[in-house]
Amino acid sequence: MFLKRYIPIGIVAFFGSLTLFGWFIDNESVEAFVNDDATQWYDIIASFAIFLGALNLLKLQFLKVLKRQSGWQYSVVAIASFFFAFTIGFFMKGAFFVGEEVYFTQGAAEQAILASGSAETVKAVEWGAHISTEGGLFKWMFDNIFTPLSATMFALLAFYVASASYRAFRARNFEATLLLLAGIIIMLGRVPVGSLITPWMVMYLLVFVGTIFMANYFKDRKIIFGSFVIGLLGVTALGISMDWNPTEPAIFFLPSLQEWIYTVPNLAGARAIMIGIGLGIIVTSLRYIFGLEKSYIGDQ
Amino acid sequence: MRYLEDMILKLGSVDRRYIFLLIGLAVLIPLLRPIDLPIRTTPTTEKVYNAIAEIPANSKVLMSFDYGPSTKPEIHPMTLGVMRQLLREDHQIYITCLWPDGLYMALDALEEINQEFELVEYEDYVLLGFRPGNEAIVKGLASDLRKVYTVDYKQTMLADIPMMDGINNLKDFQFIFTGSAGYPGTFEWVQYGGDPTGVPLSSGTTSIQVNEVMPYVQSGQVRGILAGMPGAAEYEKLIGTPGIAIQGMAAQSFAHLVIVLFIVLGNLAYFITERRERKY
Repeated sequence: MFLKRYIPIGIVAFFGSLTLFGWFIDNESVEAFVNDDATQWYDIIASFAIFLGALNLLKLQFLKVLKRQSGWQYSVVAIASFFFAFTIGFFMKGAFFVGEEVYFTQGAAEQAILASGSAETVKAVEWGAHISTEGGLFKWMFDNIFTPLSATMFALLAFYVASASYRAFRARNFEATLLLLAGIIIMLGRVPVGSLITPWMVMYLLVFVGTIFMANYFKDRKIIFGSFVIGLLGVTALGISMDWNPTEPAIFFLPSLQEWIYTVPNLAGARAIMIGIGLGIIVTSLRYIFGLEKSYIGDQ
Repeated sequence: MRYLEDMILKLGSVDRRYIFLLIGLAVLIPLLRPIDLPIRTTPTTEKVYNAIAEIPANSKVLMSFDYGPSTKPEIHPMTLGVMRQLLREDHQIYITCLWPDGLYMALDALEEINQEFELVEYEDYVLLGFRPGNEAIVKGLASDLRKVYTVDYKQTMLADIPMMDGINNLKDFQFIFTGSAGYPGTFEWVQYGGDPTGVPLSSGTTSIQVNEVMPYVQSGQVRGILAGMPGAAEYEKLIGTPGIAIQGMAAQSFAHLVIVLFIVLGNLAYFITERRERKY
């Protein structure tokens, strides 16, 4: 009990306090610990966590294959990929150079020298540098397997976003309508095509949409038609008076409007979230230091 | 009218495969047949350009490649553009990577830039490479760079690299730029790098990150931001070297237009359905 509970809590409380108060203590050793040693410790501990993570991944994937759970075939691919990356990272570096030519194995490079009868020697890159050397197996894997797969996964987002926004982006209530309008303005205002849509086109569109909304509340067609014509004439008159300026009035120019959304309402929301997160971090850190938060030792 | 409403309803319940097809075409056609669209620079992009233009000539600039292949189309044109602007003013570039894939992105960028500037390694640039540890690495760099990096990506000792003379921590740089696609990235550079040392910092991020970084931009902790591919295109325009970002703007524009069109259609169909249900 003592070893399992109080010692870990004591270590966390001590080092948590030291790291926190280190910022306020004018002492060289404490400052050196906070600025250098603590970060080095973090790196070392994080390196061990990679081993744990890798072992855990293998354990889970092997169990899935052994128990023939649904999608076990993907686990086979995951295990094979892990060992492939592991092998070419630690045991087979590739990148054996004979002049300008590059070979994946030392044997292939030596055979090439024998076959050509040249006086060249095999030059191998150093371990560590092999992962970024052209002709190295790890670099080959990155360029030919990881990059295309990674880019494909991210590119698919465009299709899912299109499909999801089409199905879910509905003006169900006032808040949803605001979100919808802001989304459309940002989407069009951020790209060059947005600056081709003049404020006048937006204003004509608003007159049109406004008339449709009016039709829901007024049954008299004369009123609806009259309002529509007045709206059109009003926009046209304003356009003529402003010489059909392509960027004014800015309130209806999509790039200006999106800029305003980004820098005013969005910023206010983002700041509120950041302050909330900051306060949350302070509270959680204090709970760790005072030993109130014990989830890291398995307590609820 | 009824016929029009029925048509909208049909379009409103179109199979998702047609949406995928249209999005695919909207992206593919402008990429295969490039269309010139006007690029309008925004104040945040201009801030980055001006901040870099104000660095005294022959300065030392740290660039961090904190992204991978998935976000390469957005961030890579930014880092290429920033490198071009820096090298034109004869600044020396020091490259770090908080992401493992960042090393490959940096190598790719150097290869491309090399065709234009004929770079000399250890005179024009040093690629320090990737170190694991996220924000701890930034904090370490701010305190003592040589404890974090003892060798560069080629395993050459830093002591043997003349360009590293006098470089001991972040304060020895005149500017920091991070091409960031998430964690670790811009936040960590602001909190542990730029703010504690006072070294000016700019960033290029994916579009989705922009709202989170904007508070730092408005407070001046980040000198402008290159926001997604449009930001990269604006920057290419500012440095006068059109590249892949400007080429990609038409594809992105049309993709956005198609998405907006489908959102409008979906909503019209929703309103018509609601009204009909209310009637009966």
